[in-house]
Amino acid sequence: MMESAPFNFRRLIIWLGRLLLGGILIYAGFAKMIRWDMHPRPPLGIARSLFALQIDSYQMLPPWASIQVATWLPWAEIALGLLLLVGWRLRIWSTLVTLIVGGFFLAVLRAYFLHLDINCGCFAKPEPLTIWTVLRDGALFLLALFMTIFVFQQSRRPHPWSAPEKSSA
Amino acid sequence: MNRRSNLAFVAALAIALGGPLTLFAAPATQNASAAKKSPAKPAAESPAAPQVSLAVISVDGVNDIDPTKAFGSKNAPVVMEVFSDFQCPACKQLFTQTTQRVTDNYVNSNKVFIVHRDFPLPMHAYSRIAASYSRAAAHIGRCEAVEQALFQNQEKWEVTGDVKGTVAAALSPADMKKVQALVDSRVLEPLIEKDKQIGQMVPVNQTPTSIIHTKDGQSYPVVGFVSFDVLKTLLDQLTK
Repeated sequence: MMESAPFNFRRLIIWLGRLLLGGILIYAGFAKMIRWDMHPRPPLGIARSLFALQIDSYQMLPPWASIQVATWLPWAEIALGLLLLVGWRLRIWSTLVTLIVGGFFLAVLRAYFLHLDINCGCFAKPEPLTIWTVLRDGALFLLALFMTIFVFQQSRRPHPWSAPEKSSA
Repeated sequence: MNRRSNLAFVAALAIALGGPLTLFAAPATQNASAAKKSPAKPAAESPAAPQVSLAVISVDGVNDIDPTKAFGSKNAPVVMEVFSDFQCPACKQLFTQTTQRVTDNYVNSNKVFIVHRDFPLPMHAYSRIAASYSRAAAHIGRCEAVEQALFQNQEKWEVTGDVKGTVAAALSPADMKKVQALVDSRVLEPLIEKDKQIGQMVPVNQTPTSIIHTKDGQSYPVVGFVSFDVLKTLLDQLTK
């Protein structure tokens, strides 16, 4: 007889990570392309250039790389967010999300400790980079990391629905 | 009778006390109003103060532009305001690596009208005096030479405090004399204050901050140092 999956701490973190990180990634991707904070909203090309300027202000990448990242990152964020929500091939996509969110965290941490007076650029709108930005990105990175670890751990265990039923004999 | 004499006594007392008081009070009020007016034109009335124009212009809705610190065609499709502090390292980086290339590629071809705004930060000991020298130099037509000298020698004068020597090295003795007279007269200080006020209204939270304005009234803030190649992608779209 099938039994429901046990709801434990690991599963809670996985679900929380999928919902929270998936939602945040989709929002962040659209915010960079649509620029809700601007009236009138700029065309896509200008929004991309403005995001490239925010990436460039971190002074981590050469100009051509800033432009490429600005072109592809919003789409990647939306796609990864959707994949996290759907839950398909979770090990692959959660690992990728952890790497990306870890990259954001390191960039913000570096800029904060180098006292770079810049905007975060995390959600496109002008947002000064403060200790709260660092803590927020750190918390999201930890959530992504634990979600990925637990996804791998869970995948080693057979799911109660797919596990072979114990023979009663 | 008694009441009348009391009234007469009070009236006499009021005149005796009030008269001299009004004599003292009138000059005091005049002095106060004069004192209130004086900061607006600090030394302009002084006989030694050089004659300069404090007139400002507006371009595409961008107001209070000191024309001596603005370059390019007023009909350009883009107006770029750059708020900077002469003692800020990122401002130096922006000026030497980006702004000068924007001038060469966009301002000189009438695509961008660039406005240099002073935003001296209180935490920098010499940035205000550097702004005063730069403004004075701009009013005798030597803005570029002095801004270049101040930014390129930033590491030296921010240690020694020798802003005057840095400016003098970039100008002829005759020009330096004019600049020094303008700085000493403090006649241009209201223009620097105006730039600061505009920056605070934006608000400028850090330097450098650039605001890119288009003809259709849209404004795009660009915060911190940005490289020319990335800024170019935005300017190319806005100026085509």
